[in-house]
Parts: sequence; C-alpha cells; structure tokens
Amino acid sequence: MLTYVVRRLLLLIPTLFFVAVVTFALAHAAPGSPFDKNPDRPLPAATIERLERLYGVDRPLHEQFLLYLGNLARFDLGSSLVRDRSVAEIIGSQLPVSAQLGIQALLLALAVALPLGVISALRQNTAVDHASMVLATVGTTIPSFVIAILAIYVFAVHLRLIPIVGWGTPKHMILPTVVLSLGAMAFLTRMTRASMLEAIRQDYVRTARAKGLPEQVVIVGHVLKNALIPVATVVGPATAGLITGSFIVESIFNVPGIGREFVLSITRRDYPLIMGVYLLYAFLIALANLAVDIVYAALDPRIKAA
Amino acid sequence: MPLARARRALALLIAALLVLAACQQGQPPTTGPVTQTGGGEPDPDGELVTNLGSEPDTIDPHKASFVHEIAVIMSVFEGLMSLDPQTLKPVPAVAAKDPEISADQKTWKFTLRDGVKFSDGTPVTARDYQRGFLRTCDPRTAGDYAFVLYVVVGCEAWNNMDLRTATTAQIEAGRDAVGIRVLDDKTIEFQLAEPAAYFGSIAYMWVGMPVKQESLDKGGERWTEPETYIGNGPFKLVEWKHNERMVFERNDSYWRGAPKVKRWTRVMIQEGATAFAAYRNNEIDVLGAAAEDLRTIEADPELKSQLSDVEGSCTFYIGFNAKRAPFDDPNVRLAFARSFDRDGYISDIQKMGTSANGGFIPPGLPGYDKDDAVQRYDPAAAKDLLAKSKYAGAPELQNVKFTYASNARTKTRVEWLQQQWKNNLGVTVVADPVDATAYTQLVKRQETTPLMFILGWCADFPDQQNWLTTVFHSSGISKTGWKNEKYDALVKQADQEPAKDRRDAMYLEASRMLSAEAPAAWLYYVSGKLLIKPWVKGVTTTALDSVLGQFRMWEIYVTKKG
Repeated sequence: MLTYVVRRLLLLIPTLFFVAVVTFALAHAAPGSPFDKNPDRPLPAATIERLERLYGVDRPLHEQFLLYLGNLARFDLGSSLVRDRSVAEIIGSQLPVSAQLGIQALLLALAVALPLGVISALRQNTAVDHASMVLATVGTTIPSFVIAILAIYVFAVHLRLIPIVGWGTPKHMILPTVVLSLGAMAFLTRMTRASMLEAIRQDYVRTARAKGLPEQVVIVGHVLKNALIPVATVVGPATAGLITGSFIVESIFNVPGIGREFVLSITRRDYPLIMGVYLLYAFLIALANLAVDIVYAALDPRIKAA
Repeated sequence: MPLARARRALALLIAALLVLAACQQGQPPTTGPVTQTGGGEPDPDGELVTNLGSEPDTIDPHKASFVHEIAVIMSVFEGLMSLDPQTLKPVPAVAAKDPEISADQKTWKFTLRDGVKFSDGTPVTARDYQRGFLRTCDPRTAGDYAFVLYVVVGCEAWNNMDLRTATTAQIEAGRDAVGIRVLDDKTIEFQLAEPAAYFGSIAYMWVGMPVKQESLDKGGERWTEPETYIGNGPFKLVEWKHNERMVFERNDSYWRGAPKVKRWTRVMIQEGATAFAAYRNNEIDVLGAAAEDLRTIEADPELKSQLSDVEGSCTFYIGFNAKRAPFDDPNVRLAFARSFDRDGYISDIQKMGTSANGGFIPPGLPGYDKDDAVQRYDPAAAKDLLAKSKYAGAPELQNVKFTYASNARTKTRVEWLQQQWKNNLGVTVVADPVDATAYTQLVKRQETTPLMFILGWCADFPDQQNWLTTVFHSSGISKTGWKNEKYDALVKQADQEPAKDRRDAMYLEASRMLSAEAPAAWLYYVSGKLLIKPWVKGVTTTALDSVLGQFRMWEIYVTKKG
C-alpha cells in the first residue's frame, strides 16, 4: 500500500508537468497581454511594450517557460502581473476560505444525499422517492446564481436573518454553504439511489437474504457498501471542485475565496496566477483521485491497491 | 495620454467580461454638484460604509490606474492642488497658493502651506512630493500612468529606459535629468518640456502624491499595507482585509481639520445584485444604482427618494477606421454618425446615461459644447451625405464589419445600431464579436484597427487637452487613422496657449472640426444614479469623483441612524 501511494505521488510529477505545458501554451496562445487591462481604454502601445519588457513577457515562450519551471522547482510561483501580491500569497490567503466552504458543502451534501438516496431506493416509486427525485432534479436544473440571489432576497433582505456584508462568522457561511452544496447534493442523491437499486438486485443480495440475514444487515453490509463504490468515484473530483471554490457562489455571496481567480486570472491574462491556480487545481484533483483509489480498496476487497 | 485608462475601467472591464456590476462610485456627476445638505446633527462617532467594488490590484499612488484604486489613494493622500467641485478648476490644496508660472510657461513653482503633516505627525516637505513625482517617472516603478508626466522634462526618457541594458549609473543619471527640483523644504519647481496650461490640473492627480522615504524603506514592496501606508489626506488606512474590506479612520492631523466621519469602511462586493441587497439591508450607506435595478427603485417610494443623478466624465463613441473603405470618405463617416437616434438609444438600450447631443467632451467638463449639432440624428441629411459620397451604391457599403468586445451588453448595443443603419441608411453592418482582451489588442494599433469599433474615454483631469489632443491628435490614443493637419496644429497650439479665453475658443473650433470630420460618432455620455441613505449628509459630488464626494470628503457626515 505504501509503495502504491508513493508511486502514485511520483506519477504526479509528470502529470503536473503536462498540465503546466498545456496551461502555459493555452494561456499564451490567447491574444492580448496582461497590460491590456481595459478594452475601452487601451494603454498606449509604448507603455505596454515597456511593461512587457520589464516583466519579461516579451521573451520567447520557451525561455519564459523554462524560467517558470526553474522557479516552480524551487516552489516559487512568482508574482501576479497585475496585482501587487505574489501568487503564493493570493493562493495562501484565499484557498483556505474556499476550502473550508467547500468541505462544509461536501459534508452537507453527503449528509443529505446518502440517506435520501438510500431511502428513495428502498421505497422506490413511493411518495418519498418521488419527492426526493423532484428535489434532486430541481437542485441540478436551477442554476446556482438564481438560487443564490433568491436566497439573499429571502433571508437577508426580507427576513433580515443573515448579513450580506463581511465574512467569517457562521451566519455568513450558511447560505453559501447550502447553495454550493445543492448541485453535489442533487447529483449524489440520484447516484446513490441508482447505485443502490442496481446493487439490491444482485445475486449476492438474494443470497444474503436467503441465508436469513436480518434486513438491516443486508442493506448496510451488502447493498450499501457495494453501492457506495460508484459514489466514491465521483466524490473525489467533486471534492477538488468544491474546495477550489465556485466563481458564481463566491461572487454573489462575496466570499473572499480562490474560485473567482480561476476566471479572472484568465480574462486578465495574468500568466503566473493562471499557472498557479490551475496547477493547484490539477494537484488537488490528482490527490482526490488517489484518495478515491485508496477508499476503493477499503470498500471492495476485490480491488487490490497493488 | 491615455487615460484614465484604466480608471473607470474596472467597472467597464468587469461588467463587460463577467456581467458583474462593478464599483459604480466612480461615476460622478457634473452639471452642478449634488449636495446632500442640512438636517441632523453629525454623529461624532459616525461610521460610513460604502462599496469599493473589488480588491484593488494596487493602491500605490504611483502605479494605480483603476477607479477603485484611485478612490483609496485620494482618501489617504492629498496633492499640491485639488479641484473646485463647482468649476473643476485646479485650486491650491497642500500648495499655499496658485503656482508661480514663468513667462515662457515652462517653469512652475509650487509653495507648500505651513503645518501640513502626514498622519503619523511628521511634516510634509517638498522633498516628499518630489519623491512621489519621481517614483511615477521611475522605470523601476512600472506604473501605468507615468505618461501624464511626460510633459515634465526628462520624465519620458527616464521612464522608457530599458532596465535590462541600463546600468545603475545610467538610471541615476536619468533620474537627475528629470526637471523636478526642490528649492527648499517648502518649494518645489517643475521644468516642462513645452508650455502646458493644464499642468495645474495634473498636480491634483494621484501620480504626484507625496510619499515618506521611511514608508518605502520599511515596507519595501509591501509598503501599501496599513502600517506603512502613511499619507497626508483626510483619512488613514487602518485595516485591509484582502478581498473583503478596507477600513479608514479620520486623520486627526489633516491640515483642514479632522473629517466629520470617524470611520469609513469600504467593502468589496462585486456582484451588483448583492450590493443592492446589502444597500436595502442597510449594510452599506451609498450605492451606485445599476440600470437593471432602476425599475425596482422607481417602484419603491423610499428607495426613490434616496436616488440622485450624477453625471460622469466619460464618452462612448463608435470609431471608424478612416484609412479603409468606405470610411476613408468623411461623408460616409458623418452619414453613419447622423443616422442613429441617440435619445432612443438611451431610452431603449442604455437606460442610464445621457444622449451624446453635443461634441466629444461630455457635459460638466470644461469644453463641453452643447450647441454642437453637427452629428445630430437626421436620417434625411444622412442619406444625402451617403449619396454624395464616393461610395454611393458601392458594394463597400454592404457587410460593413463592426468589431466589439464580446459580451451580452455590447451585443445588444451593436444589434440596435445595426438596425438603425439598416432602416435609416439602407446599409448592412455585420457584427464581429471578439474576446475582450483580444479586442483591446486590436484597437491599440493602427495596423489592426477594425473597420468599426466601440470605445469609451474618461477624463484623467478636467481639461480639453485630455480629450481633444490626447485622443484625437494624429499621434493620440485613438487609432482611427484619421489625420487632419489643421486639427493637429490647432489643438497643439491650444495646449500651449496661456490665455484661457483664447485657449477655450481654439479647442471649441477643434471640437467642431472633429465632429464634422467624424473619425468617430459620439454614442452617449456616461452618467449614473447614486442611492444615498438619508443619514448620510454633506456629500458634494463631481464628474471626476473616484470616491464619494472626493473633493469635499472631509465634509461628509452621518447622523445617528434613526
């Protein structure tokens, strides 16, 4: 197991290198410069050239890339080209906010989705099942910005229960956590339900019942355990997605997280920040997948982490 | 030069790219300032909360260019000059009196008033101002706005020095060649490369804010954090929670006396709907109203009573590439300019803003020409112009490509304009949306300038030079390719003319010439609406505000929130 984990971690290096090459190439392939800040008010060409020279953005791409890799090897992510802050500082101060929110949202989603999915499957085609499927459909189809704005109007403006301005207290986190979790919650509910229904019809379940095991043991020990494998598969990447934040949720609830940087860094052509946030994202996805593989082994003895 | 380039930009950029309503505070008023006067006792512990819009990229006065960055700088620092909120003329601020200008108009001497201090109690000297101005010109600062000081001897050369090849000695020599001299603790003298009657207006700008050597030494790259961000303005920065809020407190050593507001918190809410909700929730006290919220506001008597108009300092225009067919014929350009209904545009599309029934310079700024009817909407006249042009009936008038920065808002504008030209002129215009950053790239060089495009221009400082010369002189910002030697000569002459009346008359002539030659069609003047809670008083806004009541910030007060 240990060798497996170490091997997988070492494999991260070529993976991240590949991500770096692709991200770097795509970021630089987009026309424009980090100093084209405003489409309606362009800086004089001479000023932009001066700035590009100063920041080395005018050098040949391979030279810039090698320089970047060299710095990366020394864990130096560089400085933002448009802000007075380093990439490490931006990520360091904003990632924890998104991560906390994301983990809360994930736990909430799991806490609701697993029981709901299981109950729906066991009571297939009853009112409970229909109700939870309606919820799941609504959760997936209504865009989060609609729910978010609605939530603000109801809970903040009309009921005055929740403050809008500021960050850090539990009151500030309730709405964004719930809204952020809805998508994952809906998806995981459907997934759990479908996968339970699949497992419940398997031969080994019939066998378990035939040998007279109590129904609870059959459900928890045989059906649920097997049904969770596909769920675990999607929870991994979903975790990475949640902890790196959501552009929409962070914008609307005014969360000082990292999610907005994914979009803003690109539109602003802030190359070091683009590289930083996307490498981080790739790294987290890879870690999440590794965690999923380890969990597989625990859930299903047939899968050997060799 | 270019602008306040980035200045109002943030709003435009973010709105354009992401449909987030950004900080609207930067949309100031002009004709006659709005003043919330009278009523209620100032609360000595009063706190004001406003929305900064988003995290500033930098608040270094010598690097900043966006409106929300300048908003911070203008609260913490004060320049040699300020602007009179009624006339927008430069008036002495830290300078004790108007500058002494030499006969050749090229030497400007400012004398500091006595007793001006930084918020830490140390005196402000001419050397601190010199340090500030020099930092702006310094190539190592890499500020966007250095170009406004290129009129100072040696600034441009130093600023453009290539740091990769320059030796330390060369860099120092570059600095020593800049014509900014300290004569004594209280006197600073500027040597200009050419007469520039507008230099007094430049002296109010952020590029010339004083800075303490100690702040730079102690803070290094991070001197803009509250501990070392020490200024001489009405407020001091006491807290900066990145991406969340900035907190200012009144500066008790401010030379005009401490401001009436004790604490001023600026939160960073990017999303317009969220900011509006926060305003309704009484969590922020002032908000630039977004066009999409106007119906809600008008329908609510309470909100409606809190709404006031503010005029802006920006003009949006449709540029024509005057080097390419069919726009190399001025008749075609003017025909396009006269064939869309500007009032209809405001009521149908823009919702907020003022019809550009005048020249390039918007109302409220010096040089606004309300009688300029050259480009007024007149479909019949437009058709005549087109018939007179060398492209009458030619294929060049079909499928004219109109390039714009792709976003929903601009798409609607372009579609509306397409329809107008189709109906009124019988020409077909094809929309050509491109990515916003790519668009910026296209419009900044003559070789790549699209056939038609939309751009905005905002005042850096209140003077015609900043519009007529900076933008449309043949070496200016606008890359329409239009060049008229008479116009070029006229604006250059006006830039240097010391007599105000003669100068204004020359600019007026140039402005009319510009409208008639129509390298661009004036689309609309930016203006906005502010929501102000009834407990916020003493606000005087101007067209050039980056921050609420910028030129009378110390007079703002809040009464106890009833």
